[in-house]
Amino acid sequence: MSEQTAAEADLSKARSERTGRTGRTGRLSRMFYRSEALRGLGLLSPALLFMLAAILVPFGILIVMSFWTASGFDFDTTWSLANYQGFFERPIYMALLKRSLWISGIATVATVVLCYPMAYYVAFHVHRNKMMWIVLITLPFWTSYLLRVFAWKVVLGYEGVINSALMAAGLIDAPLQFLLYSQSAVVITLTHAWAAFAILPIYVSLEKIDRSLLEAATDLGDGPVMRFLRVTLPLSLPGVTSASLLIFIPTTGDYITPALLGGPDAAMIGNLIQKLFGPINNWPMGAAVSIMLMLCIALISGVFILLTIFLRRRIS
Amino acid sequence: MDLLDHLGSLREGKLSRRAFSRSLLAAGVGVVSMPVARRRAFASSEDQATYFTWGGYDIPDLFVPYREKHGELPNFAVFGGSEEALTKMRGGFVVDVAHPCNQALPRWVATDLFQPIDTTRLSNWPDIMPELIDLPGNKGDGTDVWMAPFDWGQTSVTYRTDIVEVEGEESWDMLWDERYSGRLGSLAAGADAWWCGAIKAGVDFADIDTPEAFDRIAEVMRAQRPLIRTYTDDTTTLEQALASGEMVAAMTWNSSAVVLQSQDVPVKFAKPREGALTWVCGLMIHKEAPRIDAAYDVIDSLLSVDSGKFMISDYGYGHSNTKAFEAFDDATLEGLGLSTHPTEILEAGHFQVPQTQEWETRMNALFEEIKAGF
Amino acid sequence: MSADTYITRPNRALRIYAVIFLIVLYLPVLFLPLFSFNDSIYIKFPLTGFTLQWYADLFAREPVWHALMNSLKVGAVVAVLSTIFGIFAAKAITRYRFPGRGPVVGFVMLPLVVPLIIFGVALLVLFSQMGVKLTLYTVGIGHLIICLPFAIATLIPRFEGFDRSIEEASADLGENAWWTFWRVTLPMIFPGVMASLMLTFTVSFDEFIMAFFLSGTQPTLPMYIWGQLRFPKELPSILALSSIIILASFVIVFLGQWINRGANGRTIRGE
Repeated sequence: MSEQTAAEADLSKARSERTGRTGRTGRLSRMFYRSEALRGLGLLSPALLFMLAAILVPFGILIVMSFWTASGFDFDTTWSLANYQGFFERPIYMALLKRSLWISGIATVATVVLCYPMAYYVAFHVHRNKMMWIVLITLPFWTSYLLRVFAWKVVLGYEGVINSALMAAGLIDAPLQFLLYSQSAVVITLTHAWAAFAILPIYVSLEKIDRSLLEAATDLGDGPVMRFLRVTLPLSLPGVTSASLLIFIPTTGDYITPALLGGPDAAMIGNLIQKLFGPINNWPMGAAVSIMLMLCIALISGVFILLTIFLRRRIS
Repeated sequence: MDLLDHLGSLREGKLSRRAFSRSLLAAGVGVVSMPVARRRAFASSEDQATYFTWGGYDIPDLFVPYREKHGELPNFAVFGGSEEALTKMRGGFVVDVAHPCNQALPRWVATDLFQPIDTTRLSNWPDIMPELIDLPGNKGDGTDVWMAPFDWGQTSVTYRTDIVEVEGEESWDMLWDERYSGRLGSLAAGADAWWCGAIKAGVDFADIDTPEAFDRIAEVMRAQRPLIRTYTDDTTTLEQALASGEMVAAMTWNSSAVVLQSQDVPVKFAKPREGALTWVCGLMIHKEAPRIDAAYDVIDSLLSVDSGKFMISDYGYGHSNTKAFEAFDDATLEGLGLSTHPTEILEAGHFQVPQTQEWETRMNALFEEIKAGF
Repeated sequence: MSADTYITRPNRALRIYAVIFLIVLYLPVLFLPLFSFNDSIYIKFPLTGFTLQWYADLFAREPVWHALMNSLKVGAVVAVLSTIFGIFAAKAITRYRFPGRGPVVGFVMLPLVVPLIIFGVALLVLFSQMGVKLTLYTVGIGHLIICLPFAIATLIPRFEGFDRSIEEASADLGENAWWTFWRVTLPMIFPGVMASLMLTFTVSFDEFIMAFFLSGTQPTLPMYIWGQLRFPKELPSILALSSIIILASFVIVFLGQWINRGANGRTIRGE
């Protein structure tokens, strides 16, 4: 990111030099600069105003509501920390939050680890029809997410594909029960469902690697393993970072997968939020839980990003 | 900016064709469906009443008279539980007709979101069983009621007759039987499960709002939780699991047993010795119902004899129209756990007692904690 | 090219892995069509018999077509709006320097990294507090929030990739800003615009979580499917619907691939 800022600074210097030349005097260039800022903001304003209205306002209300309390059908609008107190006092909230982060974390690691070789294969070992491979990889992701989750239910189910196959092969006598309605079912499904989000960013960053660096490493006597560890892997880290965040963050709030496949032991925080806004009918508590989830994710993502920046610095 | 950088290149370069084809596909399906959709969809969505109901009630079989009159089906909005439905309507969601059950009735009325039904506008009203109209919280004066009763039934245990060994009488104990640990299922909604828990715990429904009742019910629910394979509000899951033998017994409504029997799965809808949970559901008209005339037609259609016959034979639910029962002999009704005298059935079981919103919130929150293992 | 060979020489283990990967990727999805031809309402093995009944049912099921139309409508409107906003925003971000640009860009991209459920409930709270009724418009607003970052991210590289002096030349030739945009900028960024339209349409067409909280009487297709998953009698025709979608997408992708190959061929011959 720092390189990026540096590049931006260079670019802006170049630009101001150019505007300086066209404007001949500093004052003119300043005016132009100012109008440029105005023009920029003007162009950005539709998107920005919409986003301000559609993000800040609801979030503001969500935050305000989290300090209210529910009373029957209505809200008691006196400010109170009761919801946050409840969040830390009742064990369910923290436990589900931790479980969500745990399940998403495992799913993210599994997805990235399993997809990395695939991206690597397409980037380095496929020479013709690369596009075809990319299309092949993304094709299953066209079907509705719901149906893909449902498909896993068919595969992992009691009379599902895996159990039927194992029984037909005589390997087991009774269907395996732990396949469905378990945390592993959720992890498997998430890993499958988000594979495209891992492969594509990693593939893009692998594609960007200058092949001459690999040659150089080889010339300096690195074997394939060392070459991978010292050149390929560090250079593909940006892709890995993007992939991880793109998968980890949305999955922590998922509630479809645990609802359909998770069973009692894999309920996640998203399920609870949905329940709080539905049958439990305690919107203020739901608001508080949502905000805690977001804070948690922001914290983890921040640490993760700083960590990768630090890592990359050390390597380079 | 790594993330954006990647997204940008990834999205534009690599995904564009996928997206392109997807939209082509959608356009293609759209074009193909146009002749169908235009004829049906465009006329209907504007002029027809909206019926906000449980899934499974959004089928043409229940709207034969309505369709004859309007040429279309009503619009459907489907909910998974009546709490969810009420929450949505309190959030400004306006429908014409909604489908609550007796235990929610007073709370629904209290929201001031509904208008009384003028029963003189319903041609089938004279045939409606009076016992079902006279519910706690329903308006009893003259021709106005809040809720027109429509379907009634039980929440009980559906079990595999070929697998479960019943010791003595059928009982709720079947859902607490440790021999079948991991092979039992339950409805996820507190509106059913908590009340069944009360029956199991021996709590009188009149006392269900006492702290002691909360403790006792919570205790039996916690005891049951490790035995449960999954809690779900979707009957498909329970029925499939019962059909495959993944579950041997589950808490269900009448329809699951009927549907499974029609697929030749050896199941029975138990008559537990402690009594089943019984309920009546009905129809209410939204205060701001935009298509009030069509709303009355929806209700009249649902109360018709044809709809009643369908409900009884295909879903195994009771219906509020007495004439609907005339097509069935006593043995058939008996087999479905029904009777032409609904009070017999309703009184033989435990009839839900409406509770306050605070109670519902507290109960649901506690039940969620129990289901999550706390 | 010997340097190339030892870096990129065929790796048998990797290839086997890739094939297994693809199989695992595809298998679950392909079971849906399989069961859509099965003669039982329950999804289980063994298959009981072949039937086309579910496909016939599907075409008689009006709510499916309503839901499809709703999704198409929302998707189309959201795609166009987010792409138009996206063009302005991407141009502003790449062309102009203004104070607070970094934070502003970060802010606009925020929806990419916030769980959708949080946006869903936040908007639900807002709408209910304002007394706004839930309709396809509220779903559209929700989808616009998620789609905008995708549109901007898709369009930024296009603006970065083109030579700004062409626009300047147009301005020097006396064209006004709008005309310049229409005649010069738009054709240059056109592929990006198409990509953005399609991508945002796709995102909206498939979106479930926001729609769950924000839709009213008119369900989008994913909402409808969610509603039907719980009813055994309805499920097989939903499988039929998904099979049709899968099949159509496969056909179109390969068609697209084939057309594209033709285009590549011409380019090569042209050289």
